[in-house]
Amino acid sequence: MSAVIETSGLGKRYRRLWALTDCTLSIPAGHVVGLVGPNGAGKTTLLNLAVGLIAPTAGTIEVLGGAPAADQAQLARVGFLAQDAPVYAGLSVADHLRLGARLNPGWDAGLARGRVGQLDLDPGQKAGTLSGGQRAQLALTLAIAKRPELLVLDEPVASLDPLARREFLADLMEAVAEQELSVVLSSHLVGDLERVCDYLIVLLGSRVRVAGPVDELLATHHLLTGPYRDPGTLPAGQQVITASHTDVQTTLLVRTTGQILDPAWTVSEVSLEDLVLAYMSQATGRRDRGNHRHLEVRK
Amino acid sequence: MIWLTWRQARGQAVAAAAALVVFAALLAATGPHLASLYAASGITGCHGGTPCGTAASHFLSRLADTSPYPIVYLLGIALILVVPAIIGMFWGAPLIARELETRTFTLAWNQSITRTGWLAVKLAVTGLAAMVITEAFSLMYAWWADPIGKARDLAASVPGLAHPFTGGPLSSWVFATSGITPLGYAAFAFTLGTAAGAFIRRTVPAMAVTLAIFAAVQVAMPLWIRPHLIPPDRTVVSGPSFFESAGMSVGTLQATTVPGQPGAWILSSGAINAAGQPVSTIPGPCLSSSAGVGKGAPPDAGACMASRGIRETITYQPASRYWPLQWIETGIYLALALALAGFCFWRTGRRRTRRAQSPATMSRQDTVAASPRRSSRV
Repeated sequence: MSAVIETSGLGKRYRRLWALTDCTLSIPAGHVVGLVGPNGAGKTTLLNLAVGLIAPTAGTIEVLGGAPAADQAQLARVGFLAQDAPVYAGLSVADHLRLGARLNPGWDAGLARGRVGQLDLDPGQKAGTLSGGQRAQLALTLAIAKRPELLVLDEPVASLDPLARREFLADLMEAVAEQELSVVLSSHLVGDLERVCDYLIVLLGSRVRVAGPVDELLATHHLLTGPYRDPGTLPAGQQVITASHTDVQTTLLVRTTGQILDPAWTVSEVSLEDLVLAYMSQATGRRDRGNHRHLEVRK
Repeated sequence: MIWLTWRQARGQAVAAAAALVVFAALLAATGPHLASLYAASGITGCHGGTPCGTAASHFLSRLADTSPYPIVYLLGIALILVVPAIIGMFWGAPLIARELETRTFTLAWNQSITRTGWLAVKLAVTGLAAMVITEAFSLMYAWWADPIGKARDLAASVPGLAHPFTGGPLSSWVFATSGITPLGYAAFAFTLGTAAGAFIRRTVPAMAVTLAIFAAVQVAMPLWIRPHLIPPDRTVVSGPSFFESAGMSVGTLQATTVPGQPGAWILSSGAINAAGQPVSTIPGPCLSSSAGVGKGAPPDAGACMASRGIRETITYQPASRYWPLQWIETGIYLALALALAGFCFWRTGRRRTRRAQSPATMSRQDTVAASPRRSSRV
């Protein structure tokens, strides 16, 4: 499995503040990868490093086997949609497409036109007057029509209303299916990731907490409920992610590739959201940093 | 990329073209009549010397009282001096700063063009346009003001001939609005604005800084730098008529002309006595000898002072150095512009993008902070 993004000891410091420290990860190709973590986990920094908007302070990063934004060829291979999808307010929708056509040798004009038509965008409308959802769609069109191998999206739906969010993601999935893109998508909205991602990376404090295909993660994590028990007495191969106890009862989230055989446990499946939250709270419990590290969950 | 540069700068380009057209119309409406006044003034028929100077002086005096020539004359100078500053503020400062402010750099710098290529085209296209526009203002004005300049040179060749529209080719405002210096100013102001924007990252403060620095440089240049670009010449005027030949003012004893050097730019002048000490007023005995003669220093006062060994020293740049000084000064400004452009490349190439912190992100964080903290669930 080749990697679309591979980092080693990657760090980025802004003035005296480290936004990302010692991050080592490998993101496999051919997936829609969800990068999830609380605010301040370094998601945006990592993605900006991946598209070469910023340079690392420490460590290395390779994207599709090359240095990010090193040359035109590398830039052509990676599409990027920044947080809140900035577009030129004074330029019309058609101007944006012309911009894409002029600046990208691999520009797919038919695809771009088709998408704009399908989205019902008025080509003459100034981008500054578009709604948040339309703006994101326009920016996505630009990123897709340059025909990249890897599409990087930083919190693409965070500022959209639920309907626009759903439409955007559906649209993204359609494009991914048609073009066989690799996608890396950051979000702190687990519900969205559940809908579109087949691979999940939980990033917390610059560290990868857990990474793997979504179905595999779901199949190997179990919620156990039973009489009070010290987690230390579990059989080998059962990794406790979180534990909570009352006087008589113990609830554990465990990760294991094996079966849960102990009949004392009531075993239930976990949702992706529960799983992500478990990893988050595990970390917040260990390294309590007050209100800074939070996962916002859409209820 | 050239298309994008043009598309983004279209508004500014149209504004500049409109200003150019208005200015051209103003000059075209008044220029031919100015030329006909010159032709009718008798200057063209004269054969050099004092008659020409007198005719020229006459023409200039008449022009000074004829509306709207004095106004157009000053307006043109002011405009050519101000155009580079405006270009620096409105073309240069937003070039990078606005991309950073609106975060559209994330869009621009993720097309299949390197950041260096992006900036190179932007700087080259917009910078050349800035230089062309500024020089166009200057050339149009040079055409319009040509009779005034010619008459001024003729009048200046006759020592002591007073006339309006003073100032030789090296005087601060004539030098800075003619020749090739506007090219250098435009390039410098534009790259200064761009660099300020790249450094400060916000358009409006960058505009203010651009204006402040550009104005300071434009004041410093004629006051302290231009006089020394070529080592100035020095002359000592003596003899019975030194007072007239140096065009000395009675109050300060400073020279207004350099004998044999019409249109020279006087940097400093002053009378010194036989011992070499500065003299700032007409000595009493010489003053009394001129009493009752009326205003202005009478010949006998000059002769009286000369007999006491008083003479005038003048440091100056001869008018013949107009082009060497033009080339040197323009070269300096272009070199500064190149250095500033280099800074812009370095600044954007270093990819020091501050952490994205959009308003939407902040409000999200606020809502999270306000919501009760989520406790451990399992």
